[in-house]
Amino acid sequence: MFDIQIGEGGLITLSGRFDAAQEEKAIAALRGVNQSATMDFGALDYISSSGIGVIIETYKRLHGAGHEFRLVNMNPRVRNVFAYAGLDKLLRIE
Amino acid sequence: MLECCFRRDIASLEAMWEFLAGFFAAHDVAASRAFDIELVLEELFTNMVKYGRGAGHDIEVGLALEGTLLTIVLRDRDVEPWDVTQAAEVDTARPLLERKAGGLGLHFVRQIADRLDYEYTDRTSIITVTKRLEA
Repeated sequence: MFDIQIGEGGLITLSGRFDAAQEEKAIAALRGVNQSATMDFGALDYISSSGIGVIIETYKRLHGAGHEFRLVNMNPRVRNVFAYAGLDKLLRIE
Repeated sequence: MLECCFRRDIASLEAMWEFLAGFFAAHDVAASRAFDIELVLEELFTNMVKYGRGAGHDIEVGLALEGTLLTIVLRDRDVEPWDVTQAAEVDTARPLLERKAGGLGLHFVRQIADRLDYEYTDRTSIITVTKRLEA
């Protein structure tokens, strides 16, 4: 089961499996983020191209508004997906 | 080969995860290996859902593991041809702000699969992926 929580100070917490069936839920939640943000992947088990696409669009929107967007606590398998997409060198992953 | 049919709907992914979990458990596939297989199957299945709209049939998925050689087969009946092996490459070195949406899913499949084959016969698209699972 996938969940996304938007907390204080632009903290976004993902958990579960971010597959294509969760895209709309994530887009709706992220629409409310309009400041520099940190996305915590610590409890995320899985992500596919749909989730990566949502994150790219969020990055573009926040970056375009002059905000920072950090991605933290990825497990190695999730980080691999970012590497397949060439994003490990383009996004701020900590 | 273990086979199952899934309704042509993104919501079918949940049932597919259960199907895959049963296969992995039966073949003692480690979670570290399972992730990439799940990714390949989701990307190919969701492509069939997106590009085969209007087709009334379920999408058939088959899995087999012989030794360390995994074979994944997806069969989509009564659809127009769409050769996944001919899809445009994604330029992953392109700056993020210049990137357009789409194409990443098949890029992932190409990265992970040892071999990707497409066949179209009797209005049926058949995609076959083979992947050697290392010990």
